[in-house]
Amino acid sequence: MTIRVDPENNEPHALFDLADFNGQRVLEIGCGDGRLTWRYADKAANVTAIDPFAESITQARGNMPDNLRSRVVFHHVGFDDFAAASKASTFDIVILSWSLC
Amino acid sequence: MVHALEKIQRLLKPNGCLIDIHPVRKAPLIKIYRGSDLLFAESDPGYDYDDGLRHADDALNEVIQSGLFLVEGKSEFELVTYASSAPELRDYWAKYGAFDDSPKDETVTARQNDVYAKANEIMQDAAGAEITYYERARITRLMPNARG
Repeated sequence: MTIRVDPENNEPHALFDLADFNGQRVLEIGCGDGRLTWRYADKAANVTAIDPFAESITQARGNMPDNLRSRVVFHHVGFDDFAAASKASTFDIVILSWSLC
Repeated sequence: MVHALEKIQRLLKPNGCLIDIHPVRKAPLIKIYRGSDLLFAESDPGYDYDDGLRHADDALNEVIQSGLFLVEGKSEFELVTYASSAPELRDYWAKYGAFDDSPKDETVTARQNDVYAKANEIMQDAAGAEITYYERARITRLMPNARG
């Protein structure tokens, strides 16, 4: 057996109770290997997912399902640098994914 | 952290929302089940980030109290990770710890060794058992407040 994380889908259920991703521009901060990204990305218009750890971003890109390649972009960058290079009022939804600590 | 939340407010459209997910301030549990029988349950001795979580809670409270964000909803959920062996579970979490370059507390490491060794013994004597890692998290939806 390999590791299984949240096969009960508790996290996406809680997420979808609070946000409707349909057609939304999403920024995910602290995306890691994309574990949460895959759960909502098919609903969003597009997803920018960032993480400061290169290894995580490499894994996320490697794990990317084919059907999401046109709408998900992963960046190896810290949030401060990303924010400094980004325009105001860009995203409909920002997810702080286990990263505010 | 408040500084990061201020930057997030700038990036959000006026009708957008911030979804914050972070663990509650409680040590995750390592449990072993065989079927519905609980064979083992111990807190993870590696829970050494309570200060970080307290700062996260404080930062959220600060931006809510200052009027930068309004809370629109929140709930809690359990994130459960399943593994077939204690070493597999430990290796999985070590992968995340590898990003943390802060000095390791030897006492914590010794207690982790002890807990995972006990878990490993139980797993070896209990065919068909499954080891799990229970972590409780809070999810909050916040709306940027134009008056903030």
